[in-house]
Order: sequence, then structure tokens, then C-alpha cells
Amino acid sequence: MTEQQIDRSKAPGKVPGELGVWMFVLGDMCIFALFFAVYLFYRTEDLDVFVSSQQTLNQNFGALNTILLLFSSWFVALAVIDVREQTGKFAPKLLVLAICCGLGFILVKFFEYREKLQAGIGITTNDFYMYYYIFTGIHFIHVVIGLALLLMMWSASRKEITSENGIRMFESAGIYWHMVDLLWIVLFPLLYLIR
Amino acid sequence: MNSRLQVACAWCGIGFVAFATLGWWIIAGMLPPISPALDAASVAAFYQANTGVLRTGILIGMISCALTIPWIAVVAVHMKRAEGDTPVLTVVQIVAGTVTVVILTFPFVIWTAAAFRPERAPELVQLLNDFGWIMIVMTFPPFFTQLAAIGVAVLLDKNARPIFPRWVAYFNIWVAVLFIPGALITFFKTGPFAWNGILAFWLPLVVFMGWYIVMFFVLLKVIKEQQQSAAV
Repeated sequence: MTEQQIDRSKAPGKVPGELGVWMFVLGDMCIFALFFAVYLFYRTEDLDVFVSSQQTLNQNFGALNTILLLFSSWFVALAVIDVREQTGKFAPKLLVLAICCGLGFILVKFFEYREKLQAGIGITTNDFYMYYYIFTGIHFIHVVIGLALLLMMWSASRKEITSENGIRMFESAGIYWHMVDLLWIVLFPLLYLIR
Repeated sequence: MNSRLQVACAWCGIGFVAFATLGWWIIAGMLPPISPALDAASVAAFYQANTGVLRTGILIGMISCALTIPWIAVVAVHMKRAEGDTPVLTVVQIVAGTVTVVILTFPFVIWTAAAFRPERAPELVQLLNDFGWIMIVMTFPPFFTQLAAIGVAVLLDKNARPIFPRWVAYFNIWVAVLFIPGALITFFKTGPFAWNGILAFWLPLVVFMGWYIVMFFVLLKVIKEQQQSAAV
């Protein structure tokens, strides 16, 4: 059984998770690509406002969140390998670490938004902050959904997952979490860093 | 087996898209939307010009909305097959779908009120115009609920041979998520998140119309498979 599963994951033409999840990921990333194109278009129209507003963002919060998401993605990847190969019982612990990183992301975002709102900067202050709040807000919703999926993965991993279908669901949830991570890695330089 | 009746119901979805496009866009000329940044006098001028044509287009648009009723029914029938004995999500889809019919119909009624006495105070015409547009773009939750119910029901299908292909679930969830930016029109009068903006209006509109076309072909396939399995 174990041998077969390893084979399946390495067989040519087979993808981890189910195909529908990859379709969803592709669709979601297309939408974000459109978001980014719209943002860059309006940015060049009003470059001064965008650049000066951008400098008020707290890059430390952004960088910290990037590190948190990268680590959580790594923990999830290790947990998926662990479940797929059924080598040990590390998956639940790894997932707890991943969930902690995700919660850390939410906590940092809370402080970041609070800092901006206390400075009197809201969604209608100017176009840059409109994009800042909306894009990070939509990404934030993705993180919350992802955390729910990680919790489901954690609860599933406490028992031994042997069925083909169970492993596929496990991989699918992991793929979604990697997408959340990837979107942030594009969002972070776009909003915080580019000059 | 009432396959032909079911196919007719599926065609109603295409009919809705066709007649809504004809009435709302081609005859009434309400697409692209009147800018929310426009002043009251200009909005009133829109309703004062070609009022008769405008009223006719809006009327056709309003009638087309009823075509989504048989469509919701045929979707529900096959969701029920996927769900089995306790079709909770099917009921969710029917209730949410019913609300969406109302939400689609009402803006046309409100715009009719604007076009009914276009000579009245421009601020009042603008108010009705605002009301119609806000209602049709911002009210995403019932649409979201309807499509999410379809998505979850397809994912949970326990039949040995699932009724819908599984990608239909992810497609519905994806479309549902894309309606959400419509909520942001409350904050903006210009830009991509205004009611005439690319992300709050055009993207959801294209995806919404596309949803009927994609689901139409899915339904035809599902109806055909049901007919074939009954014949065996």
C-alpha cells in the first residue's frame, strides 16, 4: 500500500491532490493577476501619491508575515510528505506549527491595520490605500479559509490516513495553503517594496 | 422520464442571458453603466433622452429574469440526486435562487420608476438610478450562497458514479468568490471598485453570464446521462 502511494505521487502525468483544486488555483491566480495589472495601471497614472503612501507602510510587519507564511508552507509540505509516506507521526505536530504561523500572520495583520487606522488612514484616504486594504483584505479572507482547511488536515492526520481519497484531500488542502503563501509573496513586493 | 422538459428548463438559463443582454444592453443602452460620479442633471438627461426605448429595454430585461426560475429548478433536481435522502443544500439552492430572482427583477422595476417621470427633480432620478445600480451590483450574498451550495453538494456527492463532474464544484466556488468585490461599491464613485469598475462590475458580470453558459452544457450532459442510465 505504502509503495503504491509513493509510486502514485511520482508517476508521470499524475498530480498531487485532485485536478479540480489546480483549476481553482489557476482561476484564483488569474484573478489576482488581473488585480495586479489594474493596480500597476492606476499606479503609473498617479505615481507620486502611490510612492509617498507606500513609504508609510510598515515593511517590518510585511516581512515578518512573509517569513511566517513561508515557514507554515514548509511545515505543511513536511506534513504532506509524512502522511503520504506514513513514516511517522509527525504530521499533527507539524500542522500545529503551521496553524500557529497562520494565526501569527493574522495577529500581525491586526496590529498593522490598527496602526494605520489609528493614524487616520482608511480605505477612502487615497487610491493607494484603497488597493492596500482591499487586496490585503481579500488575501486575509484566503488565510482564514486556509486556516480552517489546516484545522481539518490536523484533525484528519491524528488518525492514520490510508485511503487514496483521504491522501488526495490532504494534498488538496495543502495545495490551497501554498497558493495563499504564493499570493502573499507577490502581494508583498507589489504593495510594500517596488519603487 | 421528462428529459425534454428538463432540457427546456436548461435552455431558460440561456434565454435569460440572451434577453437580459438584449433588453438591458442593446435596447436600453444601460451598459456600460452610468458612472456613479455623474451629477444629477446628467443622470436625469440620460433618462429624458429616448425614454420610450429605455422603458422597453428595461421591460424586456425585467421579464427575462423570470427565466431563471425553471433554471433553478432543473439545477435543484440534479443536486437532489447528488445529495440523496436529506437534500439540505438543494433547499439552500432553491431558497437562495428565489432571492436572486427577486434581486435581479427589482433593479429593473426601480429603473422603470426613474424612467416613468424623467422630468421630475434630477436629484430624485439620480436617487432611483443609484438605488437600482447598487441593488444589482452590491447584493452578492444570495448569489454567493446559491453557488456555494451547488459547489459543496457536488463535492459531497457519495454516488458510485457522481452526478456532476467534480470540477463543477470548484468552478461554482470560484464564481461565487468573484461576486464578493461587488460589496465594495458602497465606498467608491470612481475606479475599479465603483459600480462601473472592472473588478466590482465587469468581472462579476462576465463570470455571471459565463456561469449560465458553462452550467448549461453541464446540465445537458447530466440530463443525457440520467436518461441513458434509466434506459439500461
